[in-house]
Amino acid sequence: MLWSKQSILSAFGFLIAMLAMAGVFALLENSFLFLAQIMVSVGAVVVLSLMVIITVNMKDEDLPDEPKKLRWILFSAILVAPFSFLMYRALTHMHQSFGVSQEGYGTLKSMGGELFSHWVLPFEIASVLLLAAMVAAIVIARKEPN
Amino acid sequence: MISEVLTPEPFFMLATLLFSIGLIGLISRRNLFVVYMSIELMLSSVNLVLVVFSRLRGDMGGSVMVLLMIAVIAAEAALFLAMIIQLVRSRRSVDSDDFAQLRQTKEQL
Repeated sequence: MLWSKQSILSAFGFLIAMLAMAGVFALLENSFLFLAQIMVSVGAVVVLSLMVIITVNMKDEDLPDEPKKLRWILFSAILVAPFSFLMYRALTHMHQSFGVSQEGYGTLKSMGGELFSHWVLPFEIASVLLLAAMVAAIVIARKEPN
Repeated sequence: MISEVLTPEPFFMLATLLFSIGLIGLISRRNLFVVYMSIELMLSSVNLVLVVFSRLRGDMGGSVMVLLMIAVIAAEAALFLAMIIQLVRSRRSVDSDDFAQLRQTKEQL
């Protein structure tokens, strides 16, 4: 995904990563999030970015010139490595193993119960945020009236 | 049954790896599409950590948070792509350096 010069190849890598993430959610017995990931991330976000990339249709010479791309990637990998090691150690120190999942974990019913009892306010805020983002996206992307 | 086969370590490893790849892409690339996908990848790795902890504790709260995060990610994607389209329309480029010049377009008009 980081490597290719053409954005469309990166987008296909992104698609595969999102699908794999949905698979991991399914592995964690979280069936509703699996569906949500497939529908929203794969179905909406990735397809939207693919369509934008195809619509924009940048030529090779219009793409940003990155002569030292490989060196930059290696440099930033070295920069990021200690941080990621630290993060991995911090995460793995907390729990050792999965417990047996409770009855009804990850189903639509338990999800909805939790969402509409404890998480109503964030849910409403998310809906307002989506509306604001929709309006803002239309305003930004429309042609300027002359 | 997942509890007999798997430990949380591979999931944490995967999340850390995804976050690192996203961070590397964010630092090293200039193509705005790649930068955008790197940000999405980092957000997804945070989602993964939240789901793993939700599964570990048997608490649906983490999963609900991930659901809300997915909504936020969708909103962010729409905004970012709209800004890219605006940039391409005004400058015919997807270079992240040109992104800083977007604020001048209003004044030039």
